[in-house]
Amino acid sequence: MDARLTNAWRMTVNEKKFIETALASDLRIDGRNPLEYRKITIKFGREDGSSEVQLGQTHVMGFVTSQLVQPYRDRPNEGSLSIFTEFSPMADPSFEPGRPGESAVELGRIIDRGLRESRAVDTESLCVLAGKLVWAIRIDLHILDNGGNLVDAANIAALVALLTFRRPECTLGGEDGQQVMVHPPEVKEPLPLIVHHLPIAVTFAFFNSEHTMVVDPTHNEEAVMGGRMTVTANTNGDICAIQKAGGEGVTQSDIMRCLRLASRNAESITKKINDAVETYNTERALRKIKRHSASVAVDVSISGGDVREPENKFFVHKGISELSRDQMERLNLVSEEKCTSQSSDINGGLSSSEQGRTSCQEGNATNFLGGPSSWDPYSKGVDSDSLKVSLASLGISAPDKHKRGEQKSTQAMEDKVPEDAKPATSATDTSRTGPQMSGEKTLKDAVKPKDKRRKRASSSMNAS
Amino acid sequence: MMEIDRADGRTPNQLRPLACSRNILHRAHGSASWSQGDTKVLAAVYGPKAGTKKNENPEKACIEVIWKPKTGQIGKLEKEYEMILKRTLQSICILTINPNTTTSVIVQVVHDDGALLTCAINAACAALVDAGIPIKHLAVAICCCLAEDGYVILDPTKLEEQKMKGFAFLVFPNSIHSVLPEGSLLVEGEPVEHGIITSVTHGLMSVEEYLKCLERGHAASAKLSDFLRRSLKLQLPSDSSKAK
Repeated sequence: MDARLTNAWRMTVNEKKFIETALASDLRIDGRNPLEYRKITIKFGREDGSSEVQLGQTHVMGFVTSQLVQPYRDRPNEGSLSIFTEFSPMADPSFEPGRPGESAVELGRIIDRGLRESRAVDTESLCVLAGKLVWAIRIDLHILDNGGNLVDAANIAALVALLTFRRPECTLGGEDGQQVMVHPPEVKEPLPLIVHHLPIAVTFAFFNSEHTMVVDPTHNEEAVMGGRMTVTANTNGDICAIQKAGGEGVTQSDIMRCLRLASRNAESITKKINDAVETYNTERALRKIKRHSASVAVDVSISGGDVREPENKFFVHKGISELSRDQMERLNLVSEEKCTSQSSDINGGLSSSEQGRTSCQEGNATNFLGGPSSWDPYSKGVDSDSLKVSLASLGISAPDKHKRGEQKSTQAMEDKVPEDAKPATSATDTSRTGPQMSGEKTLKDAVKPKDKRRKRASSSMNAS
Repeated sequence: MMEIDRADGRTPNQLRPLACSRNILHRAHGSASWSQGDTKVLAAVYGPKAGTKKNENPEKACIEVIWKPKTGQIGKLEKEYEMILKRTLQSICILTINPNTTTSVIVQVVHDDGALLTCAINAACAALVDAGIPIKHLAVAICCCLAEDGYVILDPTKLEEQKMKGFAFLVFPNSIHSVLPEGSLLVEGEPVEHGIITSVTHGLMSVEEYLKCLERGHAASAKLSDFLRRSLKLQLPSDSSKAK
């Protein structure tokens, strides 16, 4: 109705002319040159298989989940891969909730063709019981912010989520080998998917008036363009898919040029994806070590210089560069066991990468603050004043509101430089919530500067 | 007072680390992300659009809430959350300012680790502030759980939620710092922040237990509203040239 028309966004004639004139001189309105890609930022979520990709102003989230289902009758040995795209109304005022529109369906189909038909994901390894049970992998892509070129961003999000996804391991048991037992992640380590190659989508926009072509159009350029083409290529030089649905005609030589450009871009984007996934896997491995704290340990050294102590004491050293917010959170949530830390071991083991850091035992200490009295508090306590001094010396100006009565610490605590790490690891748009935490919590806060553990007024606690 | 053993070592009255960031999306008029521990919710607001929905009152502004779960189809649970959120936000917005318009609030669940609805309400409130929609006061939401022995804990994680006898989602107005004299802000002799905007309970609980939840939640809401006020205040408008 009228309401919908009035709410639709239309570009003004002036803006259109401006963009076209600029393109005639090979200038784009955001300052890139016509064949340049925007900056790609890849982040990971809490769980395996969740990714967040930012391509300039475009923001896409991907989640991968799996389920045991019956296979298709004509493919009894293969699992299945399905892609669901959600053009969330938060991305663009013109996206309507409910059934996906044609551009959402087109996006889903392009990504689907790139992944499934090029056999990028190995579906035969997803078979559990031939003809009866297979894994069905489901990829959910949520478009959060439409800054243009949704296909490429969504493709990267899907790939990253697939690479970091872990499916539970299952074994066949029972008398006739027909019973399937799915092992939870605590019992058996979940398995990654087998991905043979990474199909990267690269989108080109064509403008009739100037006979020019740009790579990775922004939202404004998409409103002006005459036609678009998406090429899905991988680093092996294969073309997995080409999509050019209507729009203005393009010469053959231009198409060949696009294919070459796509292969080149695919290489650089693949490298970025692999680097990001590599970092994630390293962090995940570090997390995994902490999870098995109760079992007898083998000293495992990973690049970050981790050392694992047997039995109850576990202790991890990490350089600041390897710490991430998510990892710290996992660390804190995972440490259910009571942990007693020995200062001597800590000092002995202190091999500082960049900055020596006691992480998990601090994390445990913070978790157990105010916890049940059966936990054996560490003998050496630090009173709040000396902690304040040490905090002040690290350049913290905000007053510390949260005083803890009992403070557990070790000598190594004074070596921490959490505040320095905070600016390094904090995202720019998160707001400091004010006072810094007390010494025990500094580690957690060091990695997550915007977090703040709220504690009710101590008076109410004392009263109760 | 007996100590309850919470899995992550918090005391019964301790909330998880809070984080709030505003203005994270470029197309939306207002956006905010709110996380309590591992639970993270993203909210976006599109400011007044012309026209109201069919059954809505055209003499008032209308709020539309769209809840997007992490995976899966939209079902009854999502519709219920949408309705609760819509009614809560309707009571805090000044609806007479932009009559015959619709403001859309879109909530996206990024990760669910307990107390999801409270996270969403807080995020939606922050997003409304970021968008500049006129509101009377902020809403702070808190989740209180009731354990088997009548003990109340705040801000449960997903595992804790599943073990509890019952829980209550409570939404209070935030505390008011005002230059007006004290007396003029009272409603029927009580300060405004003693009111309850929304209360949704699950499970069985006695009246005393519910009142205990209310009292705990109310005390926590004071802290929460301080945090909200601080985090909303510190941000400067970074990008004034947002595409609308």
